[in-house]
Amino acid sequence: MPSFTEDRPSAGGVLLGYLTEQVPDGAEVLVAGPHDAALIDALAARATVTCLLRSQPDAIGLESRGVRVLCGSLAKVTDESYDVVVALDGLERLCSVEGPQLDWVESLRALHRLLRPGGTLLLAVENELGVHKLVDPSSSTASQADSAWRPLGEFDTKPGNPGRLAGRLAAEGLAVDWLGAAWPVPHEPTLIATPNALQDGPADALAAVTAGAAGRAYAEKSVLSDPRRLAAAAVRGGLGPELASAWLVVAHRAPRPAAALSLPPVLIGDGPVVELAPGRDGVWTRRVLHEVPGRDLSALNGPLPRGRLLEELLLAACLRHDLPIVRRLLTGWTSAHPGAAADNVVVHEDNYTVPSFSVLDPSVPPQTDVIRRFAQTLIGGGYAHPWPAAVDVPTLTSILHAAAGLPGDDVEAGEEPPLPDSRREHEEQIRALRRQLADATTRAQWFERELGRRDSELRKARMQIAAFSGSVSFRVAKLGVGVARKARNRLRKGLS
Amino acid sequence: MHHANHFYGHAHILAEYCGLDPDDPPRINGFVQHGWNVVDGLGYGTPYVPGRPILVYSERTRRRAWSMGRRHVTVIGAPFLYLLTMRPEAEDAPEREGTIFYPFHGWENQQVVGDHQRQVEEILETEDGPVTFCLYWNEFQNDQVRESYERYGRVVCHGYRGKQWLDTDRHFLDKQLAELRRHKRVASNRLSSAIFHGVAAGCEPAVYGDPMHLDREDLPMAERIRREWPELHGKHLDMSVAGPSALSELGDGYLASPAELRAILGWSAKARVPA
Repeated sequence: MPSFTEDRPSAGGVLLGYLTEQVPDGAEVLVAGPHDAALIDALAARATVTCLLRSQPDAIGLESRGVRVLCGSLAKVTDESYDVVVALDGLERLCSVEGPQLDWVESLRALHRLLRPGGTLLLAVENELGVHKLVDPSSSTASQADSAWRPLGEFDTKPGNPGRLAGRLAAEGLAVDWLGAAWPVPHEPTLIATPNALQDGPADALAAVTAGAAGRAYAEKSVLSDPRRLAAAAVRGGLGPELASAWLVVAHRAPRPAAALSLPPVLIGDGPVVELAPGRDGVWTRRVLHEVPGRDLSALNGPLPRGRLLEELLLAACLRHDLPIVRRLLTGWTSAHPGAAADNVVVHEDNYTVPSFSVLDPSVPPQTDVIRRFAQTLIGGGYAHPWPAAVDVPTLTSILHAAAGLPGDDVEAGEEPPLPDSRREHEEQIRALRRQLADATTRAQWFERELGRRDSELRKARMQIAAFSGSVSFRVAKLGVGVARKARNRLRKGLS
Repeated sequence: MHHANHFYGHAHILAEYCGLDPDDPPRINGFVQHGWNVVDGLGYGTPYVPGRPILVYSERTRRRAWSMGRRHVTVIGAPFLYLLTMRPEAEDAPEREGTIFYPFHGWENQQVVGDHQRQVEEILETEDGPVTFCLYWNEFQNDQVRESYERYGRVVCHGYRGKQWLDTDRHFLDKQLAELRRHKRVASNRLSSAIFHGVAAGCEPAVYGDPMHLDREDLPMAERIRREWPELHGKHLDMSVAGPSALSELGDGYLASPAELRAILGWSAKARVPA
């Protein structure tokens, strides 16, 4: 397509890059659909790469960097064959406006035909019921983007869960070697976990990691509701694979793979790449696979801290109005890790002593306003808490600060942390403001009534004072007091 | 917000606990529950101002208040428990003896209806040691009622509750604590704050006898109290059940630190305003 460029982000990021690193050196690879330039360059340095793109300007740009490019539609690629097909952008952007419009299954068949026997397919499948869709304020079936000439959304033929996906691939002659659920967004996941890891692994820590990944991906972005809560609840509740943003598959053309790819159960990648896997003793351990210059990641190697995310424990205790537990969590937190935010601390024992608190990601620099950030979470999210009359962040911060046993009554103001811009929270804030306005109006009326009552009492007292000060008895008494005072003064002078 | 905050010297105790001048407590930004009750923590007829917190004794009261439409309720615990933290019992305190009995009391707008003579007889039949009768100021000022008790034992009064910020006996609860610590048992013919305070001060509780009634009293509510707290009604109670039940009603375990209480009451340095 000569006058069209892709208008949505290409598949990329460090984790998808890590997946493509598993492709054997020297392999002939087809990269189908738009992928990040860094990913293509890294792959092209080790393998023979051909890219399939439908946008002519994008194809020209890529070709100028020395990469072989097929520009057009997937349906026209017939007499090629590859060791590996990389389709980590999904199958929705492989056909141009000209020619047949292949649906998901037809696209899969077309790619399958391009694989040599035993060849490997790296495929991403977006989940139309993923958390990223549930929080999306816009509808993909009503998109007005140039690329949305056939906005099928959830009406496409692609499978709707990992089980059906594996079944569909098997039916097409593709055996699944590895399947991972990707969070929080399909085009650049920062967490990939196998369904087994999500089912049997450290669910609380994985929920915390998922919430953190969602928080970073959606910072200041407009959403229907907070994706951190949805993501964490899904993973903790055993629905991680079903509500992931996408599923990533490594499959081979039957009967057996030419080269087996080795991938860990969990990959975390937001800059560095970290693998998470159970050791022989059953303890889940982190290992840094890719470092990032200028960032000390040595603390990330070793056993994964166990336990529930502190932020969720605090929110649950606030919702239960369990003040003793709220205070123990706050004091334990600020004694153990005063510089770590509540969404970066996990707690693994119910006694809430200092050793039960661990920092999830020790490579995050310490922060000075962690209590304020939690106060903002409580108020911004409209959560019930034990101090409902504290309706602004500074007041609630000072109460939480004191409840945590920190010194000083007054807490300095901090900066607003970048949070998801959630419509549900906006609605709740509007409802809260309406309630506060109604309360303030009633209070103003009460103050006016009180003022009227006090004015009336004051008038009455003034009248009594005036009446008594003008009466004959008052004047006689006043005269008597004056005479007595003079007599006393004379006596004192005489005596001195 | 309301003069009931000063009843029994509550505001003064909280000010002392917070490290402020107990003689001149700052204005409380809310309504402190001024006695144990089975409604929303507010006293009868208190003109609640929306948006300001009701500061209640217990989580149970908070839940009840929520169900009654009160949305701004915070549990702080009973001021008497705060007083206890500041007045530890002396190790060489004299041995406790006898019973302090709190007859059901009336107030300015409602008087108690019942036979005080029969009440005294039942108390003396039940209690082993000496009995101290503690009358509320309302009954203490009534010569006829006071004399009906004076014939049978020592009669005391902890002082005047206070009204419109005037004549508050700010040492009311201090006096009550001192009296409770002299006695082994605390008893009444109605479950009331005094019984709960007595348990907190180390007395064995008892609630028995003719419950009497106030003129125009909501009697179903009084019956509900007997149904809901059976462990606290009787002449000789199981302390393993009665004790935790009574302490829970006072908000044991929920007390705020001085700094947290200052922040809740609007008494932090920047927010403080005169009473």
